[in-house]
Amino acid sequence: MSDGPLIVQSDKTLLLDIDHILSDECRRSIASFAELEKSPEHIHTYRLTPLGLWNARASGHDAEEVIDILIKYSRYAVPHALLVDIAETMSRYGRLRLEAHPVHGLILVSNDAAVLKEVTRGKKVAPMLGKQLDDETIVVHPGQRGFLKQALLKLGWPAEDFAGYVDGEHHKITLRQDGWKIRKYQELAAEGFWHGGSGVVVLPCGAGKTIVGAAAMAHAKATTLILVTNTVAARQWRDELLRRTDLNEDDIGEYSGAKKEIRPVTIATYQVMTTRKKGVYAHLDLFDAIDWGLIIYDEVHLLPAPIFRFTADIQSRRRLGLTATLVREDGMEGEVFSLIGPKRFDVPWKEIEAQGYIAPADCVEVRITLTDAERLNYATAEQEDRYRFCSTSQTKKEVAVALAKQHANDQVLVIGQYIDQLDQLSEALGVPVIKGDTPIKERERLYALFRTGELKCLVVSKVANFSIDLPEATIAIQVSGTFGSRQEEAQRLGRILRPKADGRGARFYSLVARDTIDQDFAQNRQRFLAEQGYAYRIIDADEILKK
Amino acid sequence: MSTVAITFADELRARGDDALASIFKLRPDLVSPVPNDFSALAARATSTPSLVRALDSINMWHYQIIEAACALPEPFKKSEIVAVTSEETAFALDRLWQMGLLYKEGNNYRTPTNLKMLIGDEPAGLGPIAVKKFDFSILKEIPKASEEVLAKLTWGPPRGQIGNIKKPGNAIGWLLDNGVLVALDSNTVALPRDVAIKLRGGKIHKDMVSKAPNLIGKEVVQKQIDLAAIANISTILRWCEELLHNLSDEPPTALRTGGLGVRDLKKIAEHLGIDETCAGFVAELCYLGGLLVIDSDDQILPTSAFDIWLTKSAEERWYSLVVLWLDTSRVSGLIGKNSDKNVAPLGPELDRAGASLIRRSTLKVLNDNPQLTPDVKSLQEIVKWINPQRANNDYVEWTLREAEWLGITGQGALSTFGSNLLNEKEVLEIESALPKPVDHILIQADNSAVAPGPLTPELASEMGTIADIESRGGATVYRFSDSSIRRGLDHGKTGDQIKTFLSKISKTPMPQPLEYLITDIAKRHGRLRVGSAHTYIRCEDEGLVQQILHDKKCEHLRLRKIAPQVLVTDFELAEVIGELREFGYLPAAENSGGVLLSQPNLRRSKSRPKPPRIISEFTAPKDAIVTAAVKTIRAGERSKKVEPIIPGTSSNETLALINQYINEGKSLIISYADNNGGVSNRIIEPISISLGTLTARDETSDEILQFRIPRINGVAPSLTKSENKADLDL
Repeated sequence: MSDGPLIVQSDKTLLLDIDHILSDECRRSIASFAELEKSPEHIHTYRLTPLGLWNARASGHDAEEVIDILIKYSRYAVPHALLVDIAETMSRYGRLRLEAHPVHGLILVSNDAAVLKEVTRGKKVAPMLGKQLDDETIVVHPGQRGFLKQALLKLGWPAEDFAGYVDGEHHKITLRQDGWKIRKYQELAAEGFWHGGSGVVVLPCGAGKTIVGAAAMAHAKATTLILVTNTVAARQWRDELLRRTDLNEDDIGEYSGAKKEIRPVTIATYQVMTTRKKGVYAHLDLFDAIDWGLIIYDEVHLLPAPIFRFTADIQSRRRLGLTATLVREDGMEGEVFSLIGPKRFDVPWKEIEAQGYIAPADCVEVRITLTDAERLNYATAEQEDRYRFCSTSQTKKEVAVALAKQHANDQVLVIGQYIDQLDQLSEALGVPVIKGDTPIKERERLYALFRTGELKCLVVSKVANFSIDLPEATIAIQVSGTFGSRQEEAQRLGRILRPKADGRGARFYSLVARDTIDQDFAQNRQRFLAEQGYAYRIIDADEILKK
Repeated sequence: MSTVAITFADELRARGDDALASIFKLRPDLVSPVPNDFSALAARATSTPSLVRALDSINMWHYQIIEAACALPEPFKKSEIVAVTSEETAFALDRLWQMGLLYKEGNNYRTPTNLKMLIGDEPAGLGPIAVKKFDFSILKEIPKASEEVLAKLTWGPPRGQIGNIKKPGNAIGWLLDNGVLVALDSNTVALPRDVAIKLRGGKIHKDMVSKAPNLIGKEVVQKQIDLAAIANISTILRWCEELLHNLSDEPPTALRTGGLGVRDLKKIAEHLGIDETCAGFVAELCYLGGLLVIDSDDQILPTSAFDIWLTKSAEERWYSLVVLWLDTSRVSGLIGKNSDKNVAPLGPELDRAGASLIRRSTLKVLNDNPQLTPDVKSLQEIVKWINPQRANNDYVEWTLREAEWLGITGQGALSTFGSNLLNEKEVLEIESALPKPVDHILIQADNSAVAPGPLTPELASEMGTIADIESRGGATVYRFSDSSIRRGLDHGKTGDQIKTFLSKISKTPMPQPLEYLITDIAKRHGRLRVGSAHTYIRCEDEGLVQQILHDKKCEHLRLRKIAPQVLVTDFELAEVIGELREFGYLPAAENSGGVLLSQPNLRRSKSRPKPPRIISEFTAPKDAIVTAAVKTIRAGERSKKVEPIIPGTSSNETLALINQYINEGKSLIISYADNNGGVSNRIIEPISISLGTLTARDETSDEILQFRIPRINGVAPSLTKSENKADLDL
């Protein structure tokens, strides 16, 4: 029995002992077919899924290779049944192929007539198919490429897509590496995406996803549509593209509530895309406005449902999804896979941290004991108001203010969910607040002040959860959040992960009211980060108040 | 003059002790119970059930020889049967004689009558025996068209349908005219036996398959086989354990017809992470081992035998189940098979005769071909050769599948452990091959812990009470949560005990959040105490009391506050506790003395284990039994006094004898009990037997009468004409 670093579980998870001497080598080998599920301090968990295995087939690995790797690194004997299962699953890929036919357009082809028969019987699949040309070929209705792929995947017969991508309208884009250099992992991510055709790149917040986007554009050398969460993020993208590529101001357009510019590179917000006039999505035409060669979805974990639907129609265009946290509380990860594409690149947060590209972070949970009066009130509050009640308590405000004052010399962000609470904090600390109704101009002004250090502390609502680049922020104080959202917690930590000029670490405080529902939510919120190896430290609020 | 059947008994009587011993060894069913004397032994050995068993156990080559023997006119010489089969047959005759499938009359051989019946009227596809002597020279003159007809009939079936026997057409007409074909009825013709043998070139079979085909397969290295097998063994043991724990947690209700319902099976399969076929097999295996039982109130529960089983070593646990699987007549492969009707595991519909025979034969082939992953088709061919009468391709396939699940094989080839099992070795070597248990865990910041190998049983059980298992396999992944810690506390542990235990066995420092989690839960645990007088809730924390009192969800409990720290209700204790827990509180029950009630929730059936009956093949008897049987039978023989004129016979014997007479067309005397209970002797000419009734012509009345076989007390040959009939009416 070998003494390898890998333990293969019968539920198809792979446990990687990262303290093992072969762990690095093993990680590289299994990354091509297993999905990283979590990466805490000692044992990382990967999972073998049909999607992952098909993905591996798509990138040219065969079952024998996968099995050899498992056997080579496995510490214990690998159950034979599991190996058989892997071989069987992988053999399902590619029995069906989507191809472009000069006369009939898109066709579904298989050498295995039985498989073709099976899938055409599927209730969902049948309406998408047209005439059967012969035993092995069926015409696919135009525009059904995405939906068909999705439906076939659900039936367990993923189609290999040979229909290719349209190149889109040519537009010269190159990276301009003056005074900076693209990092190795960014390059790998962009290449991984390009070879895969379409897909999602997962990188921690602050690790430079925009540059991966820019590098992808440099590969495509074509007109690009970039979809982002909000206007501020749109402008950040524009600035970053101007800095990192040879694009000039006239090449880049903003398509938002404020402006409606369509240029070779157009940055649009999700919000404007999903705006409806008289029940009709007014701006979806943007997808057809130019013959786009590449569509980038920023923060793909937030992609709204209407965009999903539209994305199914544009399967012939290359699509790149970017995110730090591919967890969706609505469980729509599968849709992301089939419509945008499979995960092309993923790397544990701690690994990027070890390379020094994101700041080390210290996560602290501050336990606050409510006063007796507050507790009694909490106890008698209506169920639906309880979270709001305990997370906005007076005691919490006092602790937040004390903490902010302790870090008077650092750049501090106070983040919360409830506007009243934020207003009170802003008043108590004597600093401005950014929330939903703050005008874009004002937001940009305040962010700019904060970046330069003129403003040391800023109170922000969830509008700052994503995509806001505040490099020098080192302290985040979270007073309340969207209940148990794991990705929100991670994104908020992400605001302070940009490496600091002086190499300082970041600190993330999460204020939690003891013995209340706040504590339960906090436990769930922390799970994603804990699985990425961020160990929370717990301190008592009294320690802070004493100082 | 004695009849043929009595000759068989006589012939047996004349066999030496060694030969008798071998008939018992080769046909184990004859020894249980030990027959009283030789006529009983002869009768038993020629009874249909015993002959069927004997035929089941012989291989295709022996079966061909028996077919040939049944096709020949009796008695036949050794040289005659060799002539129609092959030279090698000479070597097989002795064994078939030992089995009592042939017996000797001087230097000639005969077959027991019933055997002919079992083989059928057309042995090896040969037609009826011609009445007239046939002139073979005519075969040289057959016209071309007729030759084609003959070619169709030569290798059987020997019968052909024609429109009308009166207008047979030229080809058939010629054959009929020349006696090459005979008419059976107005539209059937048949090829007589000796003509067919002649046309077959003097042989009865195209090929005598005196050897089993070779096994084709892929060669595998024993080390790889054993690695795979040991993984399978630890997996199957884990599956059994998991399944039984799962039954204890949520006992399913058996179907009305007995057995596990489809939905429950699906649930179990999901829980184990395997497909339903495999889950059904695991359930059956536990059932065989008496580890689970269908209770009197139809709940399917683990038995107390399960608790004992758990304490044994892996090798003992495995052996105790596998050894039963080898012999069981229950065929798990049938589960869910039937297209129009579901076949349930643990149900009554899984028994199949011959299943264990095929299972053993399949495994024997694997045993004879080490380090080879067999090609299934090739293996099926060989099993078909070994047990031509019972061979079932499905059974072979299922045996392979199940043997793999059990770890008897690894990668399809016989493992060292499987071979040790089949060759009845004392030590199966499983224990030493299993990975060494580990005595530590790694706790991580996300409140999970990994045991990087099989934990020692004590640690595993401790961990099981304070953490939930998230993933199993070579390692175990545990997750700590509110409810898992609470369970630990419910089991009577304190928060400090849990922390000490974890820091002792963890190789990594305990993360602070986990420490807090345990402290928090321990602090809150039991702060709420619920008693029954009819049920009170007391709590030192008035705020909490207030909270519960105002909790809208608790309204229906009709709680009343009787003191600042005490609430009471008229509901049952269990209900109140359940509801409170559901609403997110952490109450603990206490008894009248204020002492915490804590007990693990392990459910066991009160019934004793009732493993299913095994209908297995008879296994070869031990030498001692064989010797004793021979002795008994000899003694029984000596004690026999003067034979009555009409010896008493058992039904089987009666049947065998009468069949004999029918075939020979001789008359006989029977002792028959009439409707009034009077017994009289009658001389009859038997005609036919069907449905337990003998149709015969009564010589005295010259009528065709029906005789019920069970009422015939004895049978004897009728006397020759010269003897006086009146002398018989004694």
